[in-house]
Amino acid sequence: MRTRKLAPLVVGLTAVALAVTACSSGSASSSSSGTTGKGSGAVLTVGMPNGTLTENQSPIIPTGSAAKSLGYAWVIYESLMQVNDIKPLENPTPWLATSVTWNADYTEAKIVARDGVKWSDGQAFTANDIAFTLNLLIKYKAINADFPDQIKSATASGNTVTVDFTQPEYVNQIKLLKQVIVPEHLWKDVDPTTYTDTKPVGTGPYTLQSWTPQAATLVPNPTYWGGTPKVAKLQYSSYNDNNALTTALTTGEAQWGWTFIADYKNTYIAKNPKAFHQVAGGGFGVDVLYLNNEKAPFDNVAFRKALSMVVDREQISQLAGSGVWPAIGSVTGMPSPSGDDWIAPDYKGKKQSVDVNAAKALLKDAGYTWDGSGKLVDPKGAKVTFELVNPAGWNDYLTALDLIKTAAAQLGVDATVNAANQDAWFNDIIPNGNFQATLHWTDGGATPWNMYADVMDGASYVPLGKTATWDFGRYKNDEVTKALADFRGASDDATRKSSLAVVQKHFVDDAPALVIWARPAVAQYSTANYTGFPTDDDPYANPQPTGPQAAQIVMKLTPTK
Amino acid sequence: MKFFVRRAIFYVITAWAAVTINFLIPRMMPGDPVAALIAKNQGRLDSSAEQALRVLFGLDSHASVWTQYVQYWRLLLHGNLGLSFSYFPTPVVDVIKQSLPWTIGLVGIATVLSFAIGTLIGAGIGWRRGTWADMLLPVSTFFQAVPYFWLGLLCIALFSVTLGWMPASGSYDRSMVPALTPEFAGSVIRYGTLPALTIVLSSIAGWILGMRNMMVTVSSEDYVTVAHAKGLSERRVMFGYAARNAILPQVSSFALSLGFIVGGTLVMEMVFSYQGIGWALYTAVSNHDYPLMQGCFLMITLAVLVANAVADVVYALLDPRTRQEG
Repeated sequence: MRTRKLAPLVVGLTAVALAVTACSSGSASSSSSGTTGKGSGAVLTVGMPNGTLTENQSPIIPTGSAAKSLGYAWVIYESLMQVNDIKPLENPTPWLATSVTWNADYTEAKIVARDGVKWSDGQAFTANDIAFTLNLLIKYKAINADFPDQIKSATASGNTVTVDFTQPEYVNQIKLLKQVIVPEHLWKDVDPTTYTDTKPVGTGPYTLQSWTPQAATLVPNPTYWGGTPKVAKLQYSSYNDNNALTTALTTGEAQWGWTFIADYKNTYIAKNPKAFHQVAGGGFGVDVLYLNNEKAPFDNVAFRKALSMVVDREQISQLAGSGVWPAIGSVTGMPSPSGDDWIAPDYKGKKQSVDVNAAKALLKDAGYTWDGSGKLVDPKGAKVTFELVNPAGWNDYLTALDLIKTAAAQLGVDATVNAANQDAWFNDIIPNGNFQATLHWTDGGATPWNMYADVMDGASYVPLGKTATWDFGRYKNDEVTKALADFRGASDDATRKSSLAVVQKHFVDDAPALVIWARPAVAQYSTANYTGFPTDDDPYANPQPTGPQAAQIVMKLTPTK
Repeated sequence: MKFFVRRAIFYVITAWAAVTINFLIPRMMPGDPVAALIAKNQGRLDSSAEQALRVLFGLDSHASVWTQYVQYWRLLLHGNLGLSFSYFPTPVVDVIKQSLPWTIGLVGIATVLSFAIGTLIGAGIGWRRGTWADMLLPVSTFFQAVPYFWLGLLCIALFSVTLGWMPASGSYDRSMVPALTPEFAGSVIRYGTLPALTIVLSSIAGWILGMRNMMVTVSSEDYVTVAHAKGLSERRVMFGYAARNAILPQVSSFALSLGFIVGGTLVMEMVFSYQGIGWALYTAVSNHDYPLMQGCFLMITLAVLVANAVADVVYALLDPRTRQEG
């Protein structure tokens, strides 16, 4: 009996003992990382969920660089121009280049280098550095992620660099503007595919002070051409996963970063509504429900259109995307605001809406019937069912699929959701077309071209069972293929507009796939110490810290009063 | 002597088998590093980068598995484990060098602590059965039974977020640069306390239980009764006679558990964002980083083998019966 009475006491004592051990070692040092100090002089901590890193500060290697994955590569090295992803083609801000001019069919660009820029080791920056960097891309395929086999030559003369391309680059033009430039005098004797650049020398507003596997610290570059940055110190911290970064952001330990926070309004913003913000940039990237146009039931255009009419994009955006991924209103699938100017006159203002009766009427006209239990039967007499598939663990996608399944039930269709193995999805389901419907992203790009080409371009068409790079739904329409090619190679806006109108007409009439939501660049930041970040009212740049825009954003930051 | 030679041959064969399996398993996994990298970026990596990545990783040329195997052994014998894909172009050796000390330091100390404290407590409560101290048993078993990640998250929620006493993640203050200074050492200890505490909490029950049960068996042995009858002090009988014999199985399982330290506690490293070999292995597996995977597996296999060998030798020294031949 005695022991039983003592049990709670023992538990209690254990808890106290734990608390005391924790407390005594906790009080040893009370400063928490990065948040000491207020106003000017405070450290700005940028957090990313990238795990432990290795010492690699190269700004041009496509993967493995700590500097690129955390983002500090872009405050050390700079790009030719600053592009605002919301309207990528409008007025890029001159940066290392004072101007970039293209010829009419976008096969040649003339880049004028800025005067008076110095590398952080004191050497002058010249047009030769630009030409040298572009020639590195020609010489080493492994670092040429943006223009594979597409750069013919790059030569400097005076302060101007002339770049020749092997094909029209209208749709890729911002990739050139976003190219970072490395110093010729330090890079000319190294192999850029394995060079780890541990003492980075750039033109940017900050220089690397110290590096550890979990954080990099940067201090202002005293000779920066654009003036003196007002953030006294930048610290880039790496957390092992999204949860750890979410904790760091909500406790204020990290003040700028990007991670998907489900229910972010309550989990994040509500913790400090005055200082905590989450903003979305623009862009043309969308998530698409690819429908297999060569497999039943989606080989029938009437059924594709009917499904499109019952799927509630707004609801999916709210429930599956936590409101982080904005719904797309336009019937053309163009995300707003980036795509607003690209909508063909016929579809201006036409909104996607849920209309079950119209969908049923459409199916009826196409010869579909319903059996006694209300299930949809196709014109050949077979019951309509389909399977939605995405990799297990991709929770926003899988929730969206569940909502689409519920929507299909309104038409009397039994759909199932299959959470597949990620490797199987990547290596078999997607490229070989072994699916009926699946969610997948599209490339962003500077124009709507990438989005439509990724979904509908007959040039990427391969038969089922062969490896496709895009057009996973096997949509093929020669008119669309030609229009997309025309758009890409056009030398005037009128041709581009008319080609795009053809593409959009078929996108609406043939419903080759369902555009579900936009996937803009989103970022979280705290204005407790510094303000000047892009906001919803003044979206002057992509708000994420991991891109060439970082140099522009840090130069706009000022201490909060 | 024959005993040791036999064991040595056994270990060499095991090591060869383990290294070969290390080589084969990653190659039998479905998927490839480039697809995994594109998956990780979900649309943020432009699709035109795929070709560049294949060239970068050297995956654009195809060598037969046999050629790769021969190459693998040749590099291995030179101490070269190749370049990691996920940390390209850092050599695998450097990645392991960077993460292994953290795991060995933290998990090693925690394991030793857990063993020492658990064995002492086990000896104590095994010696005095039926007192209130027996309650420690269900309490410690409770901590072992709850899922570790839950315990870790609970500790973070309580000590880091609510009370703010301990840092929630990292291995040391992120604004510090590793150096041999008291401040840095203090930071490492401060950041390591909570993870170490949770490891000790969740593993101590095994040591307590094992030691207690052996103590119970041993304390009814004749030589313990004789020691009592001789009028030796209670303490002397407990430690010098009972505990000394009861600890034998504990020692061999301790030697084995040392081998598993290198495997790291992946979940601990995930929950506390601690930089260690477990995290490196996780990164390698999720990115199809074959060279890093092989490197980590190799380290883990070798550590377990060495620990096994140590356990073998120690046991042979402690208990002469295992050495008898024929």
